[in-house]
Amino acid sequence: MNNTFSIHRFSLLLKRQWLEFGKIYLITLAVVLGVIITFYGFATWSTIAENYPFSERLLHFREPLFLIFGFLFITVIASSYFAHLGQKPKAIIDLMIPASTFEKFLTGILFTAVLSTISFLVIFYLTDLAFVSKLRSMYHSTSPVSAEESTHAVDSIRYFFSKNNPGEFKSIFVLTPFFVTSLFLLGSIYFNRFHYIKTAISLMIFSGIWTFIIVKAGQALFEGRISVNHGNGNMDDRKFWVELAVFSLMLLLTAIVWSITYVRLKEKEV
Amino acid sequence: MEFRDNKAIYLQIAEYVCEHILLEKWKVDEKVPSVRELAVELEVNPNTVMRTYDLLQNRNIINNKRGVGFFVSDEALANVKSYRKTQFMDEELPVVFRNVYLLNIGFDELETRYNSFVKETFNP
Amino acid sequence: MIKINNLNFGYSKGKLLFKNMSMQLSAGHIYGLLGKNGAGKSSLLKNLAGLVYAQSGTMDVMGYDPAKRQPALLQQICFIPEEFYLPSVKIDAFVKANAAFYPDFDHAYFTALLAEFDIPVTQKLINMSYGQKKKVIIAFGLATQAKLVIMDEPTNGLDIPSKAQFRKIMASVLTEDRCIIISTHQVRDLDNLIDTVIMLDESSIALKASVEEITNKLCFKRVKELDETVIYSEPSLAGFNAVLQNYHQEDSKLDIELLFNAVLAEKNKLKPIFN
Repeated sequence: MNNTFSIHRFSLLLKRQWLEFGKIYLITLAVVLGVIITFYGFATWSTIAENYPFSERLLHFREPLFLIFGFLFITVIASSYFAHLGQKPKAIIDLMIPASTFEKFLTGILFTAVLSTISFLVIFYLTDLAFVSKLRSMYHSTSPVSAEESTHAVDSIRYFFSKNNPGEFKSIFVLTPFFVTSLFLLGSIYFNRFHYIKTAISLMIFSGIWTFIIVKAGQALFEGRISVNHGNGNMDDRKFWVELAVFSLMLLLTAIVWSITYVRLKEKEV
Repeated sequence: MEFRDNKAIYLQIAEYVCEHILLEKWKVDEKVPSVRELAVELEVNPNTVMRTYDLLQNRNIINNKRGVGFFVSDEALANVKSYRKTQFMDEELPVVFRNVYLLNIGFDELETRYNSFVKETFNP
Repeated sequence: MIKINNLNFGYSKGKLLFKNMSMQLSAGHIYGLLGKNGAGKSSLLKNLAGLVYAQSGTMDVMGYDPAKRQPALLQQICFIPEEFYLPSVKIDAFVKANAAFYPDFDHAYFTALLAEFDIPVTQKLINMSYGQKKKVIIAFGLATQAKLVIMDEPTNGLDIPSKAQFRKIMASVLTEDRCIIISTHQVRDLDNLIDTVIMLDESSIALKASVEEITNKLCFKRVKELDETVIYSEPSLAGFNAVLQNYHQEDSKLDIELLFNAVLAEKNKLKPIFN
């Protein structure tokens, strides 16, 4: 018998965890869906129901909504996934389930990083689709946009995901939810109670310290010096290197945080 | 079954089995309950019942037919009686004697009592 | 089946709960684990199940190291903790989610056990009392057909008829390839089920002996007067309940409570008898 990974056990574990964790998951998802619909409803109600004229500003709430609630949703899910291991009776049952630590860990990643991100994107996409289609069927609005060559008209009632298409730094956008959830997943197994708030506070302190160090280091290194612009760097080239650097750093950090989480799970005692 | 405090469990189970054989609830050449069945019925460890069955086998009260189970042996009745008799003589009679002596009970009185007891209990 | 070698274990580095503990347990027995509060009964059981890690020493459970938490071993362990949690689903949903992890899980047997315990299969776990949940988790654990059955205070929370049912069930599940370890304070609930007594005291095993060995070496009886053969005694209505050395090959009934107190009080007198 393979004691590290078996597809059969892994699928059983996914089913089992869904039974355990699915309820919290679906409730959280329903709350987030409710919030999204409320925002869309409030913003577009006067236009859809009372025939007020459409203004492009109406849809400006979408970016903050997407970012804030997306962040909240995936972090809440991640920080509750291993939360029950803080309670002995629940932890015993979980640890005694005949599946390997690796399988239990992988199930956690799948639920928190992959499933939560995808389901948030889907509900946001669908809500946006519903409301914006309705608007598009009622109004036709364009706005002039200055591009490099000429000024042309662009449809201003655009779907969220066609408007905010992460053209550049795509890889970083893809990696971000993995990185964010990895931190909160670690928090959920590291702390025994108040996982979310403790994780959030630790992250703030941690990033505060780093910022301080970097600022101080920057001051120490560059104080009294002048930056000289050689002016011969290719913009695209530089973007590529920046993207690669940020991507690698995030990937590395995510991998580190995941390994710590795995070790914590492996060494969990009750 | 309610066990008494003054005797090893496996011996009390032996008494229980002997009682069943004497009263012919379990007849000669019939199968007796398996170790597991009796352990479940009496709520005791099967190893204890096994110890009882070993004892009863040694006294030729039951015998083990390999693969089938335990059976009441042919001479079981006689063996149970002799086994119980030794036990009675060794353990219970001294207690009775002690009381007979302490309470000054005469053998005549005992004999009458004994005869009426047998009459009432066994030939009503 | 289980070999423990020089186990050192404690929840904090300074204070060890077990010091150089060694012990072997074999299949075909019901071991009764006894000890005062805080003697480490639950901790020993958790060590066997791989739920906590020892500071040093080795442990071998059916050829595996429980600390590695390998599925092959976990499938063979039925662990009934004192405090447990069951999700708020119906019994069949619980079984559906968990039984498949155990290749030998016996559904018919599970149903039979529930019937014996008088638990309706369609009931939701959340609406059950502690005792009922305990019966469900015991039935589930036994239906996994695990070779190692570990139970921490299993009769806690069971009502009087359930305790009798529990004893019947435990008598029926002991097979030659199974090892059952039960920790308990309620020795009266289980004393005829236990065939080997393990007693923990002062960070080690104060006594590990089969009931047969104990009653061969010791005699438990009521005496009128105390003399030098009495190892330990407690006053009772008609004299004393006493533990004596068994010089006359008497077959007495083991009184576990009396033995327990004797071990705590007269460890030095008892040690040489059992070694």
